[in-house]
Amino acid sequence: MSLESYLSISALLFAMGLIMFISRRNSVAILMAVELIINAAAINFVAFSRFVPSAEARLDGQVFAIFIILLAAAEAVVALAIVLALYKEKKHIQADQLVGLHG
Amino acid sequence: MEIADLFFYLFSVMIIGLGGVVAFSRNLLHSAFALFFVLFGVAGFYVLLGADFLAMVQIMVYAGGVCVLLIFATMLSDNISQPGKSNLSFQTVLSTVAGGGIALLLLSAFENTTWNVVAPGAMEPTTNSIGKLLLNEYILPFEVISFLLLAAMVSAIMLVKKGENS
Repeated sequence: MSLESYLSISALLFAMGLIMFISRRNSVAILMAVELIINAAAINFVAFSRFVPSAEARLDGQVFAIFIILLAAAEAVVALAIVLALYKEKKHIQADQLVGLHG
Repeated sequence: MEIADLFFYLFSVMIIGLGGVVAFSRNLLHSAFALFFVLFGVAGFYVLLGADFLAMVQIMVYAGGVCVLLIFATMLSDNISQPGKSNLSFQTVLSTVAGGGIALLLLSAFENTTWNVVAPGAMEPTTNSIGKLLLNEYILPFEVISFLLLAAMVSAIMLVKKGENS
């Protein structure tokens, strides 16, 4: 398959993540949307490292994708801990009603 | 090459179809389980792109770790007695317009760009070279990220414990 086909799939995945990120109220759903967007970016990195590699650094895109996966894991852990702490405090996790920091 | 194309279409359908379920399902648990299979589809893409080590990392860390964590959080936090109402959305029209517009923009950009594509070489095992890269050129980011993971672990425990005490 060509580079463009991988990029197109990743663009569609990114768009769905964006739609979900904007339209959801639930904090966990927003996290899932972020996971979709991160995965779309990682597909791009790996596809470019396969089809448009630089001569001396063929695997840089894959190393970046590994860092992306690890960062996403750390982000998910902390965000879910925050969500659970909020749920204990407020009994809901609707993002549009969590305005406690609103000045 | 034909079989690889077949698998490409299979994984594309998996990613796009189940990604649609993730994005538009009313039930948050359905979204979480569909996300699990989307991540498997992305791992399949990595295999097709010759990134064998990365595919295994994706399955173990994402599908095995992050996704199970998300399912747990859904079950612990959501109003699970009314799953049909757990995932209501608002501004659906506006967000669909925005997402669709950005997708069209990206797709047309891909159409009109000529990439410097080189013919992809034979697929080789990448684990050895990635290990060498991580411990030579990328040693600083590698150490920073290990420290970050430790900090994330400790902070997650502290955050949840704090909620319990109060």
